[in-house]
Amino acid sequence: MRTKYLLLTAALASGLAHADKLAVEKDELKLGFIKLTDCAPIVIAKEKGFFDDEGLSVEVIAQSNWKVLLDNVITGNIDGAHMLSGQPIAATIGIGTKADVVTPFTMDLNGNGITVSNSIWEEMQSNDPELDSDKPKHPISAAALKPIVDDMLAEGEKLQLGMVFPVSTHNYQLRYWLAASIIHPGFYSESDVAGRTDAEVELSVTPPPQMPATLEAGTISGYCVGEPWNQQAVAKGIGVPVVTSYDIWKNNPEKVFGVTRKFADENPLTLVALTKALIRAGKWLDETDASGKLVNREEACRILSQPNYVGADFEIIKKSMTGTFTFQKTDVRDMPDFNVFFKHDCTYPWYSDGVWFLTQMRRWGQITEAKPASWYAETAKKVYLPDVYMKAAEMLVEEGNLTKDDLPKTEDGYRTATTDFMDGNSYDGKKPIEYINSFEIGIKDDAALSGK
Amino acid sequence: MKYKILKAIDISGLNFLSPVVRLAYRENPRKQLREIGRFIIVPIVAFLVFLWLWSELAPHHRTKAGEVPTPSVVWEASKGIWLFHKRETAKADAYLMSSADRLKELHATTARLSELDALEAKANQKITEVKTTSKEKFDAIVAPSKLAYDQKREQFRAANTAREAALKVEAGKLPTLGADARLAYLDKIRQNEIRTEAGKEELKLLKAKYTEAQTKTFPEVKRAQDAVTSLAEERQFLSKYMEMLGKDSRESKSAESSARLSEAREKFLTATDGDLFRLGSAVVKTEGLLATTEGSQYAKPWTLPKQIVRSLICVFTGFLVASAIAIPIGIFCGLSPTFMAAMTPFIALFKPVSPLVWLPIIMIIVGGFMPEPENHWLVKALDHVPVLKEYKVDPMFISSALTVALCSLWATLVNTALGVASIDKDHLNVARVLRLGFASRLFKIVIPTALPLIFAGLRISLAVGWMVLVAAEILSTSQGIGKFVNDMYTNGSSESFAQMFVVVFIVGIIGMFLDRIMIVFQRLVSFDSGAAAI
Repeated sequence: MRTKYLLLTAALASGLAHADKLAVEKDELKLGFIKLTDCAPIVIAKEKGFFDDEGLSVEVIAQSNWKVLLDNVITGNIDGAHMLSGQPIAATIGIGTKADVVTPFTMDLNGNGITVSNSIWEEMQSNDPELDSDKPKHPISAAALKPIVDDMLAEGEKLQLGMVFPVSTHNYQLRYWLAASIIHPGFYSESDVAGRTDAEVELSVTPPPQMPATLEAGTISGYCVGEPWNQQAVAKGIGVPVVTSYDIWKNNPEKVFGVTRKFADENPLTLVALTKALIRAGKWLDETDASGKLVNREEACRILSQPNYVGADFEIIKKSMTGTFTFQKTDVRDMPDFNVFFKHDCTYPWYSDGVWFLTQMRRWGQITEAKPASWYAETAKKVYLPDVYMKAAEMLVEEGNLTKDDLPKTEDGYRTATTDFMDGNSYDGKKPIEYINSFEIGIKDDAALSGK
Repeated sequence: MKYKILKAIDISGLNFLSPVVRLAYRENPRKQLREIGRFIIVPIVAFLVFLWLWSELAPHHRTKAGEVPTPSVVWEASKGIWLFHKRETAKADAYLMSSADRLKELHATTARLSELDALEAKANQKITEVKTTSKEKFDAIVAPSKLAYDQKREQFRAANTAREAALKVEAGKLPTLGADARLAYLDKIRQNEIRTEAGKEELKLLKAKYTEAQTKTFPEVKRAQDAVTSLAEERQFLSKYMEMLGKDSRESKSAESSARLSEAREKFLTATDGDLFRLGSAVVKTEGLLATTEGSQYAKPWTLPKQIVRSLICVFTGFLVASAIAIPIGIFCGLSPTFMAAMTPFIALFKPVSPLVWLPIIMIIVGGFMPEPENHWLVKALDHVPVLKEYKVDPMFISSALTVALCSLWATLVNTALGVASIDKDHLNVARVLRLGFASRLFKIVIPTALPLIFAGLRISLAVGWMVLVAAEILSTSQGIGKFVNDMYTNGSSESFAQMFVVVFIVGIIGMFLDRIMIVFQRLVSFDSGAAAI
């Protein structure tokens, strides 16, 4: 009894050991998110009290789609949000709404999947009998989809596919996957903002939570989206995930935490405090025990399944967040890196990630004119704020919430060149023009621009 | 007494109660009993029949989003919504509690948490058992269909390869043969295609059976799962609640800040060397932190009860704006046929426009007026209004309210115009004889005579506004019932379907009450009670 009482008084007295709080400029904040499991860092930072520890009182508000979310950030209805990596970049260079949006924090790696409807899956299986098994060999390329696309084209129709936003990771991943099997997803241009010039399939925008319903209704035959909307399709029996973004590009950057440049300039300490809380949330999410099992994910799924957050059933969220991924009811695979929130220096805002998105925007014509290599580097520097990140991370090291080993080791903010793509292509963030020109399908630029 | 009650019933439009009152006063009991049967018993029976039909039919319609919820499932869902509200309120309260209360609550919570250990262990054991048994059943169901499909597929593939091989052998002989033989061979290829297609069809049927078998679920698993989920959610809540009571409570945080303040002050006052400016600013900074901590609140998420209140505020804001525009214009329309003629094209043109068209337009316009919503004078001013500040008036709210206004003002406008235009000419002549001025003619004769029709219009307007509001809130994601529906729809959880049914009833019941209120007003201003409907 006595020890219990002591415990309680200790709980009441609260630890005085916390380091100095930052004198934040704004302590009541509203953050937006889309109902996807990768909003986890924001939700966890709130529910585990990491925002509170920084003296921030944060309200977390669900947004109905990416366009509304971005508009709300720009108009100041919300202070910051869970964003597609492409959104701050596109806003800054003026694709869609023009506004200076910046990011000090990458929220996660991987986490998307491409799902096709049952009937398309059956046709793919009859095109490639290898696929007709309870556990087909992965990764599945779009080669088995090609005959279907060709048949439809011969009948004057185009296969309809869904993605979540014109500058979303999903758009580029879906295009990458299709183009790797020589299916042309279409170019954007000044006059064609739907991106359908020369297209053999038609991509259209649907908000993530409506994907399964749209697929079921037959408006689209497949989609690329984040979780839990692929697992939801499996659980409801309306579609089959064929490939995950991890298979397309191992450890690809996914969402970022975005605020307007104005907010960042007016509230520099608040932004550092926010980044600190988010880094801690990322670390908490990726905490493992000695055997490498993710220890906090069950609790995270429980929190995310609350109706004011992601709100899907716990069982569905758990399917992709606890180290496995369900492709079919008979096909559950280990995918420990399906969602990465801290490992692989995930949370650092890498310039090279920004450049990759820029190269894809150029490849598909969203950036309408050829730009020199130096422009790619400068634009990435405008949007990504590694200085804010490092300031936050170093403070966390001082406070003992992070170890020195957790800090990313980089001189210039670029990841080393990688060949972790499904088509074996190599990407070096310092050579954007060469990278753009390396694709079979895509706009080609003058090689001379690489030196400028 | 009896007539007073009857009059009250009549005014409130609750006419179905009057036979009960008359019966209590023993007035023609036979007739009253018949009326009670017709106006009270019949509706209740009809509703019960509806509930019975619903609970019988719902389970037969399966959708991919789950089964259509039965009344009992909907009832459970409404309890779930309420529980979520209660828990969030508890957290917000815990944040502000005094230390004595917190200690008491902490004891109770610790006790409940230790109870949970045993309960959870039991529930987990139960679900493992149920899962093993249901897995066996599941395998027993799936295995035969899988076997059948696999066998058929092997047969189909073998037959296919055999036929193709045979055809290829035959093709080897073709070069020496003439056109007839070649054409005959073409027929064989066609035959082969037809047989392959037929095989595929057969295979498809078996595959469908196999897939169908895989979707088999077991209610006992669902029940065990639900039990585990509800316990796990309680634990989740309680551990957060503990934190709110303990280290995260406002008191603890303030204590921490004031400890830090006295430390900083101590340092500043006693320091002999060192940078006194820096130490001084640290004191001022900590003072600021302490002040914000003491005024802070728990950032509570929106829950349905609060959203309902906000929706009501929003609909009345829109309704007031609509009335303020529609009644004056309506009066002028009624007084002057020329003015009416000028207004007719606008009424005819804008009345049929859907709220879903108005809303985006209004949102853009309002957004233009409020480039920085948080610093806008209107938002700032409303932040000081006692009740409104809790419901955070923002551009979304204003847009939704204006949409409601734009869609609902027509009924009032047209009715007012009609009421004013149909004033007895004799009354106006009397006014002329008495040489009444415009103002007294307006307030003594025109408005009083037109009031019953104005209120009839207002009643329709409010009903239209309430219907429009939910749609507007869904589209604008303004906090309210519409946002709740949208969130539940996008959640896509197993509860969502039932939660939306809950909203149907809430919206219906509130709409009914709003209508009753307007009926009361309408009766109060009517000279003859016959004008009002049910």
